[in-house]
Amino acid sequence: MVWFSLLYWVWIILGGILIGAGVHFIPVGGAPAAMSQATGVGTGTTMLAAASGLTGLIGAGSAYASSGGNFAYTIVMGGVSAALMISVLAFIANVMYVYGAGVPLASAKVKYDPITKWRQDLYVSRGTEGHGTPMSSFISGIIGAFLAGVGGALVYFALAASYAGISGFNATFGGYPAPYYVSLAAAFAIGIFFLNCVMASYNIGGTIEGFHDPKFRRLPKSIVASLVVSAVGGLFALLIVVMLPGGI
Amino acid sequence: MAEGERSPRQLLVIGVVGGLVGIYLANYLNSMTNTAWFSFFAALGAVLAVFWGADAVRRVASYGLGTGVPSIGMLSLGAGQVAVLLGLAVAMNLKVHWAAPIIALILAAIIGIVNGVMARRVIKMNIAIMEMSMTEIAMAASLIILGFSTAIAGGFAFDLIMKYVVASGFIIAVFIVGGMAMLHPFNACLGPDERQKRTLNLALSTGFIAMLVAGIAAGAINGIQAAVPTMIIAIFGWIIYYLRFFADTKEDAAAVLSTGLLPKEEEVA
Repeated sequence: MVWFSLLYWVWIILGGILIGAGVHFIPVGGAPAAMSQATGVGTGTTMLAAASGLTGLIGAGSAYASSGGNFAYTIVMGGVSAALMISVLAFIANVMYVYGAGVPLASAKVKYDPITKWRQDLYVSRGTEGHGTPMSSFISGIIGAFLAGVGGALVYFALAASYAGISGFNATFGGYPAPYYVSLAAAFAIGIFFLNCVMASYNIGGTIEGFHDPKFRRLPKSIVASLVVSAVGGLFALLIVVMLPGGI
Repeated sequence: MAEGERSPRQLLVIGVVGGLVGIYLANYLNSMTNTAWFSFFAALGAVLAVFWGADAVRRVASYGLGTGVPSIGMLSLGAGQVAVLLGLAVAMNLKVHWAAPIIALILAAIIGIVNGVMARRVIKMNIAIMEMSMTEIAMAASLIILGFSTAIAGGFAFDLIMKYVVASGFIIAVFIVGGMAMLHPFNACLGPDERQKRTLNLALSTGFIAMLVAGIAAGAINGIQAAVPTMIIAIFGWIIYYLRFFADTKEDAAAVLSTGLLPKEEEVA
């Protein structure tokens, strides 16, 4: 009987935990931030995760294909691509907040920015929870997206390496360059990415400013949830290898 | 539950039975006649699953998830997608081709329960119906993915779905469009005046839009036979239910009470 590699399962679980932990670093502002009434990028976790996670996946996937399955290259490219996407997102949003909405970038959760040591509370408009993405949230977002991108790349790598062994999965659809196993691994990596990032965003109640936010202390609960959710999701995904001993 | 509403159990039966019957009809009629004319049945089944899933989203999201309605839809589609492919692979392994949709549904329920338990017991979200709703939404999501995939590929054998839906990349379109069809209705209608009939009419309308996308994809795989019936039904369904939703909106909007004009400056002072 064909069995899946236990190491790959561990990678998927580790990847899931990294994705969940990464979300805690990302400045998610939600709907209030879209009206520049809260700190963070003005959209929900699902959209931010889709933006940076999918960019990370594209980076990881292209690195995997061009390096012939090099582990370190795939993982680092996943992290860097996601971090790049979140910094572009936060930067462009900041330009709009400052020059469009006319609000200073400030955090309402801390009196002094932990990185720049600049005063924050004076610049928070009355009745709001801060505006835009100030320095520490920005740096926190880059760290978080890197972690989540690395996590997503780990999941993708484990799945792609597992499925590459199934006979018949090296075929391609028509003139497409990507073989079957790449498509399946990418689709499942997106699924497992969403599972973990939504669980993490439930843990933070939808909004967080970054590592300096008090909500950041809820991280252990999210790690447990991510562990279980990605263990089950990863097991289901890897069981496909067991179920297709003769390929397709 | 207000008068004239459909109960959760009624919708569960509509979703599960409708979804499964549609998928089976499409698969067996296509293979019996050796054509792809009947693919649209599977897409209709998926639309019924959207109908059920949208109500489950509506029930759980009305508690306020804190992260926006889309989150629960995307989570469940992620779970449903893994469950569907594993279900098809299990059926292929055990040589019970006919049972594939049912196995996928059961696997989706398992993964949904795990998600629900994690959300309620570990993350401690204060939503009493979390486990049940997550299970229902994951099951609906698996039927949506399998329904649209069957409509595109013309059958639900693992190798067909793998080749024509996953390898061709349509799985991502099914994932996002199917998810949007399920989560958009409540996301658009939520608020104190939300009413099940209006939300579900919008759900059918978005379901038919998703069916239209599936029809276009089916055309790329199985040609006119699959595309034309699916797309014609989708367009008519969309127009009918969008007009019903529009009528419901106007009806409900008339019940909004006027608060009067803003007081004049001198009156305030």
